[in-house]
Amino acid sequence: MRDGKVRAALFLGCVIPVRYPHIELAVRKTMANLNVELVDLAGFACCPDPIYFKARDKVLWLTLAARNLCVAEEAGLDVITLCSGCTSTLKEAVFLLAEDAALKERINRQLAKLGKEYKGTARVKHVVVMLRDDLGIDRVAASIRRPLSGIRVGVHYGCHLLKPSQIMDVDDADYPHILEDLVAVTGAIPVPHREQLLCCGKGCLHDLIPLQMTRDIFAAMTDAGVDCMGLICPTCFSSFDLGQITIARKMNEAYNLPVIYFCQLLGLAQGLSTEEVGLHWHRIKMDSVMEKLQRATAGPTMTCS
Amino acid sequence: MDRASVNFAFRKKLNQVLGGEHHNYCYQCAACVASCPAARYATDFNPRMIMQMALYGFGERLTGQDSPIWLCTNCYTCYERCPQDVRPVEVIIALKNMAAQQGTAPESVIKYAEAVLETGRTTPVTAVVDRRRQELGLEPLQKMPIEEIRRLTEE
Repeated sequence: MRDGKVRAALFLGCVIPVRYPHIELAVRKTMANLNVELVDLAGFACCPDPIYFKARDKVLWLTLAARNLCVAEEAGLDVITLCSGCTSTLKEAVFLLAEDAALKERINRQLAKLGKEYKGTARVKHVVVMLRDDLGIDRVAASIRRPLSGIRVGVHYGCHLLKPSQIMDVDDADYPHILEDLVAVTGAIPVPHREQLLCCGKGCLHDLIPLQMTRDIFAAMTDAGVDCMGLICPTCFSSFDLGQITIARKMNEAYNLPVIYFCQLLGLAQGLSTEEVGLHWHRIKMDSVMEKLQRATAGPTMTCS
Repeated sequence: MDRASVNFAFRKKLNQVLGGEHHNYCYQCAACVASCPAARYATDFNPRMIMQMALYGFGERLTGQDSPIWLCTNCYTCYERCPQDVRPVEVIIALKNMAAQQGTAPESVIKYAEAVLETGRTTPVTAVVDRRRQELGLEPLQKMPIEEIRRLTEE
């Protein structure tokens, strides 16, 4: 509920807690600052992933997704996700099981073996959608202690937060603004670029194409003059942070563009240190951004020209 | 390609796979192609042509080892654009399910899925992960409900 107390189950997924636990830390710290209560429930497993696992067996994918949703339903909680993949899987499961009664019956026959029944009562939201819709942008703004003035952030939406809009129902899939609105709340400047909605390419099984896509996104952001790239998905994060090392090696193009997950950016604006939001774990360091921020903060007291 | 060349047996099979039945709605308008990132980067990937091949029932080409379906980025833009509710990406996923069933899916895909069934996660947990979580002051990773997952894999 807007302006009410937010209390929901935290669905960590696989990639963040295992590969990027510092992002989990940034989420927990920033949400604590916002008085959002994230409940850790026992019993969640992989969402499962909407690309490979779903490609192997969509019915089993749906069954396992429904099992995860049952865990939240049993606790009477909605679900907050941190990864666009988890969001995609769990929201599509909710959609398909509401759309097709026979399918729901079929899945529930399987779940009955565990003494579970999927009812369809739990809602699923990516953390950024919860911030906008349940907590409210104003309350996010009220938590800002150190506005990131002058920092130019190139937003990468990724695909699964928005599409298909029939299921995700977050924003206009062609002209979204949720992430620009949230970046602006931190005091930073959201910078538009020509590859705003291009996919990170991770799902494409090809040696070169995913790299070409990420390379084109870096080139667009560099041309737009960004200081860093902001995103909301750990798979995109991997494609862009580690991906830059690969691009430098295989394509001989170095962009050196720091990549930051939204809750890390929010943490910096709430006054947390770079260590507290885990920026020292990134392949591409944030030093240039932090120096620019310090210069901007120190600006008014400087007398030399 | 005359009517006689349509392989209805394959189309009937595709209709039985969850999401595959929507291929019947395709009227070949190509709205899916214009904003498809895979089509932009790969000359041999075109979602309209994949739907056309599905309509003709070219099963071997679509589910064989050299099928173009694995170039799909799963971005869902075609789903967004389609005026006919074909959900092309979901038809492609249905074709992938058929390939996995008959053993022609890429090994990397199968291994990834197997990891979820065996460990509950896509990403392997090592001692380094546990240590880093401890250093960050995070709770240890939760145990995965492997037994429940195993029981759900049984028909």
